[in-house]
Amino acid sequence: MYIYIDGKKISAKDGESILEVANRNEIYIPTLCHHEALDDVGACRVCMVEITHKDWGGWRNLVTACLYPVEEGLVISTSSEAVRRSRGTTLDLLMARCPTSDVIRWMAEENGEISVRYEQIDDGSKCIMCSLCVRACERMGCNAIGTVGRGHDKKIAPPFFENPENCIGCGACAAICPTGHIEVNDTRTTREIWDKKFNFVACEGCGEPVLTEEYRDYAIANRDLPADYYTTCSACKKKKLASHFDKVGS
Amino acid sequence: MQKTFVVIPRNCTGCRTCELACSMIKGTEGVFARSRINIYKVGDERYMQMTCLQCVEAACVKVCPTEALVRNELTGAIEVDEERCVGCGLCEPACPFGHMHFELNEGVPVKCDLCGGDPTCVKFCPHGALEMK
Amino acid sequence: MGIANRKELEARRKALHKANENVKTHVRVCSGTGCAALGAFEVYDALVKESKKAGLPVQVELEPCGKEKDPLFVSLTGCQGFCQIGPLVHILPDDILYTGVKVSAVKDIVEKTLAGGQVVEKLLYKNPEDKKRLKGRADIPFYKGQELVALEGCGSVAADSLDSYVASGGFSSLAKALKMDPDQVISEVEKSGLRGRGGGGFPTGRKWRSCVSAEGDERFVICNGDEGDPGAFMDCCIMEGDPYRVIEGMIICAHAVGSSTGFIYVRHEYPRAVERLSLAVKTCEENGLLGKKILGSDLDFDISVARGGGAFVCGESTALMRSIEGSVGEPRAKYVRSVQRGFRDKPTVLNNVETFACVPSIINEGSDWFTSRGTEKSPGTKAFCLVGKVVNTGLIEVPMGTSLRDVVFGMGGGIIDGRPFKAVQTGGPSGGCLGEDHLDLPVDFDALAKAGSMMGSGGMIVMDDRTCMVDVAKYFLKFLMEESCGKCVPCREGVYQLHAMLDKLSRGEGEPQDLEKIQRLGKEIQVSSLCGLGKSAPNPVLSTLKNFREEYEAHVNDKRCPAGVCRDITTFTIDPDKCTGCLVCKKACPPDAISGEKKQVHIIDQDKCTQCGACRLVCKFDAVVTN
Ligand SMILES: Cc1cc2nc3c(=O)[nH]c(=O)nc-3n(C[C@H](O)[C@H](O)[C@H](O)COP(=O)(O)O)c2cc1C
Ligand code: SF4
Ligand code: FES
Ligand code: FES
Repeated sequence: MYIYIDGKKISAKDGESILEVANRNEIYIPTLCHHEALDDVGACRVCMVEITHKDWGGWRNLVTACLYPVEEGLVISTSSEAVRRSRGTTLDLLMARCPTSDVIRWMAEENGEISVRYEQIDDGSKCIMCSLCVRACERMGCNAIGTVGRGHDKKIAPPFFENPENCIGCGACAAICPTGHIEVNDTRTTREIWDKKFNFVACEGCGEPVLTEEYRDYAIANRDLPADYYTTCSACKKKKLASHFDKVGS
Repeated sequence: MQKTFVVIPRNCTGCRTCELACSMIKGTEGVFARSRINIYKVGDERYMQMTCLQCVEAACVKVCPTEALVRNELTGAIEVDEERCVGCGLCEPACPFGHMHFELNEGVPVKCDLCGGDPTCVKFCPHGALEMK
Repeated sequence: MGIANRKELEARRKALHKANENVKTHVRVCSGTGCAALGAFEVYDALVKESKKAGLPVQVELEPCGKEKDPLFVSLTGCQGFCQIGPLVHILPDDILYTGVKVSAVKDIVEKTLAGGQVVEKLLYKNPEDKKRLKGRADIPFYKGQELVALEGCGSVAADSLDSYVASGGFSSLAKALKMDPDQVISEVEKSGLRGRGGGGFPTGRKWRSCVSAEGDERFVICNGDEGDPGAFMDCCIMEGDPYRVIEGMIICAHAVGSSTGFIYVRHEYPRAVERLSLAVKTCEENGLLGKKILGSDLDFDISVARGGGAFVCGESTALMRSIEGSVGEPRAKYVRSVQRGFRDKPTVLNNVETFACVPSIINEGSDWFTSRGTEKSPGTKAFCLVGKVVNTGLIEVPMGTSLRDVVFGMGGGIIDGRPFKAVQTGGPSGGCLGEDHLDLPVDFDALAKAGSMMGSGGMIVMDDRTCMVDVAKYFLKFLMEESCGKCVPCREGVYQLHAMLDKLSRGEGEPQDLEKIQRLGKEIQVSSLCGLGKSAPNPVLSTLKNFREEYEAHVNDKRCPAGVCRDITTFTIDPDKCTGCLVCKKACPPDAISGEKKQVHIIDQDKCTQCGACRLVCKFDAVVTN
């Protein structure tokens, strides 16, 4: 099928989202809660685009590109006046919520001039509730964190704000967070995340941290690899292999 | 025919030009990146060039929860699809040879991708110790 | 003793009629939430006991009670509407409505009315206008102009009795529907023009038809009894008072769309509705009205009662379905409709309680009967919860197209204390406020929407001149801000900011550009939000801003709240010309800010005054004035 994005005729497949087609054709649509490997939830609303169709009698609508499935002849605008206004408002609201986040500021500037400012909520939180962390955790099969509460006070947290029992300290939530909201405190021997403390498995060779003990147990239980893979750090593994190669070679 | 990355340790002088070249090409805006190839001293005047073996049955691919590690059928390299990676970092300890590198603040692992089939290190090695054959 | 087929249903009905043909007097004690809270159950017990003591042939079940002449049938019904003056006892066939019945009054009722055939004057409704006692529903203005369709059995049938429902004609509509082709049933509903009573007003027949044409090996029928709107209780009344009607409507729908599994999702806070519905479902199962081969047809259908997740947003269709699935009740953003992929990704019909409750009558009486009331685009009737500053509050059902004036000043009996009418808020928290110039608006889906409000599920809050529109908007925004699922940015952050700006206005810190800003943000939230909650959340502020702009401007430009509600910008003073020195306000003032002797003009000490407004409320001479 063919669709039109910003006037360009582009081929698309049934079942694809507008965003997928745009990405494939290197047409930029900003996103904050989309991730290629996770299910879309339509939370951030910055991927808003305007759609219409020649058969719709002039009717147009704003939809999220990450979720809207393409259809034959769909006409999409990624930066119409309405899109920019909607996106601008959303980013503006996010800037008020997390004034310290660079990602948001940068994206807002990209979208155009920032016209209205709202009351800033300076509670130090950078969380934009994109829920990427929750979905990443879900993907790991841990479900250690989730959303707690609703409304404006909704937070990302472990159930009942307690030490997350299921957390294995992998750190995927922190890695995926676009704003750097999630705190991880690592020392040579320990990791602290979500107020839960973990001990690192120390490398057999040099004592450097390899991964948390819980993560190791998780890996042994859930991935089909020998347990002794997780006992040594990369540098020592390489060193060992290097001398092995050397012996074999000579 | 797909070419293979070959190391010739006896030619290696330990000059580390390959590491520098890799760091530069993989870095952005003047910031050096971690080199995907490392030189290890294994004896007197003896060096070993260590980089990803692009294993046929790769452990990293096996542990990835999101299929973010994919083989490039053209080059044979296993590449990181950064868009698909959720940053769990399990591929690093999973690699039995120590060729995956993951830092939490970087969010995605780094590994040798054979520079799309034309490795920079090979081009820069002044001593003919690296080859694509 | 099951009901295996149509014949047995009719036989059962005949037997019930026969058993009761000589019942002469029927005493209906309202056991709706309001009356129950005021002691209706105790009244019922006392009535039964006293009547027995008086030697009356009391009967509490629809069963033959021996050979006695003129048995007296006493039953507990659902809400009879006029909860404000409950507990209600309605005596038929004489149409005597006793109000505010206490256990102590029961003896009188038994002796004078039930045994003696007289009316107990002091228990009758007193018309506040002329202080005259009015005997029955037919005389009381609150009931005049009402027409009961969805509420037909609510207040008449015995709520927990299948027999009572069957005797009143229950399940004959199902029997009729099962004789019809599913397609015919849908056509009939389509022709009736029935629109969803849960808020959106989507044509029910069309919804059913698209469910049928959606692909799927399984279909679900779900009844939305979440009723999250504060102040609305019509669905509650139907579920508690006439549960079998809802079930019958759902079975008809199941037959029409080809479903074998249904759910009734009941709001967390409605334990009695859960109880009554569960009992009704169980009774239906035992009698073969749910389960396999219903009434001898090929239809298999089961219903489970699910308890709500406790959040307002759980009433939203996708959130509700997720909640029944066992996940967190959050709306799901998908551009597919739930009739195609709803519960467990299968085609699903979701309708409101009242919508389902309309269905039996439509099938029984035909679509023409239904369309003969209401307006062209909104046929039928609609239940409303009339609350606020009106004289009469309670549950009403009126034909669509009835004017707001008829509701507020007719059934509602006008504004309390004869104060001026200011606005009526319809549509629940995300509805809008309509002022005086909209009083003659015919109430239907489109007219309300056009005026900037909405039908919603049918809440109707009447406000007098002492209601501040900024304050009202702020109140609803606060509710929505807390009840937003918090998932999408425009709703979570935008409504918060709207509320913050209104708060600024009410503190007198508003700036001229704020009104423009509020309007713009409101519009963006409407177009950008994920679900219906966010899309409609700005309504309270946008509609009041449109219909009561001067009031907003007074807050911004003059730093003044004309209604005298926003404390920070209101000062209370006593008009010396009007003050009679009665001391009432002085006694009412919590911080003791009022001084003055009897028969002398009182004065408010502004340093002590906390602007609570207690003095104004109690002053009978309107002597307390605001700036
Ligand atoms: C935030 C929100 C809350 C809702 N709450 C209710 C509710 O409490 N009861 C209800 O019947 N419909 C509610 N709805 C409407 C439902 O989503 C749905 O449209 C309706 O139940 C469909 O039934 P109907 O077509 O019979 O009206 C709500 C919608 C939204 C957006
Ligand atoms: S913590 Fe980070 S990843 Fe998680 S919801 Fe907040 S912004 Fe998104
Ligand atoms: S990326 Fe589409 S809504 Fe966030
Ligand atoms: S509860 Fe009795 S009249 Fe409503």
